[in-house]
Amino acid sequence: MDFFEEYKGYPNYEKAAIHDEAHGKVVRKKLWMVFWIMLVITIAELIIGSQFHFSEINKEYTFIFLTLVKAFFIVWIFMHLGDERRAMKYAIIAPYTLFIFYLAFMAITEGVYSKVIRDALVSMVLHQ
Amino acid sequence: MFMWFFLVSDALTFSSLLCAYGFMRHKFAGDWAVPNDVFTHFPFLHGDHPLAYVGFMTFDLIMSSVTMVLAVEAGHRLNKRQVAMWLFFTIIGGFIFVGSQCWEWYHFITGEASNQQYREYWMNGKHIIDPHFQGANLIVNAYTQLPTFGDFFFCITGFHGFHVFSGVIINIIMLIMVLNGVMEKRGHYEMIEKAGLYWHFVDLVWVFVFTFFYLL
Repeated sequence: MDFFEEYKGYPNYEKAAIHDEAHGKVVRKKLWMVFWIMLVITIAELIIGSQFHFSEINKEYTFIFLTLVKAFFIVWIFMHLGDERRAMKYAIIAPYTLFIFYLAFMAITEGVYSKVIRDALVSMVLHQ
Repeated sequence: MFMWFFLVSDALTFSSLLCAYGFMRHKFAGDWAVPNDVFTHFPFLHGDHPLAYVGFMTFDLIMSSVTMVLAVEAGHRLNKRQVAMWLFFTIIGGFIFVGSQCWEWYHFITGEASNQQYREYWMNGKHIIDPHFQGANLIVNAYTQLPTFGDFFFCITGFHGFHVFSGVIINIIMLIMVLNGVMEKRGHYEMIEKAGLYWHFVDLVWVFVFTFFYLL
């Protein structure tokens, strides 16, 4: 029921978002700030990627962390999810927060496990 | 709000693709191609420049994301001229990205071989048996013994490139609508905001693709 109540007011949403010149200046300053942060992170990633030679697992965690930081800025500031209604915010963010853990588990644990199985099978066949 | 529903479902498609990629990447950990050795080309420059061009592409997409968000902000001030200007820059950025991706695919597919040489490989079916094969396709690639590497590359960057392309088309439609004064008549620029959501989503996906394909 709530959903339809909200939807009735929805076409006016954008009119509520209209702001004046002074507020625009503040918003623009924030946006450029975010741009510089993202640029610095990207350059750091490139330098780490092409110059440093970490151990594989440290590299993975560093890059995934930096990527998540960038993703946060895009979703929260650029897509202004931070300004949406609370219920909607968490309806979108919560499943993906869980999904990221699942993805990491799938890729790292399960992938390595099936590599172990595969290597074992290959060596079994070779030694027969 | 309904744009968000679409984006959530689209994000699931991409995350499942990336999940599958991560799985295979770890399963064949030792044999997988090292991205620093594959993506080393830069236009008009010879020699090895690992990651330089993808870095440029990432910068371009983030930049176009910023211009898009500035267009949305100008829409909040009902400033038609600025909305059109920032949208135009966004479209330019999008075209640069799609063009870069074409260039990158071309170099991934032909490798060090010349176009003519590659055509001969392909015409004679030599790409399957020749140990000196250069480049990549869905069956074999020169970077690793696993066809999976090429398959995932084509599938995921292709799917993402298709999203970028459709995003550019949407932005062009928006630009035409703005210039025709459709938004002005409506009294708000909500459509720009929705197109902007889609465009930021494309940028978001690229951030992940960039990490998993080119950095790790």
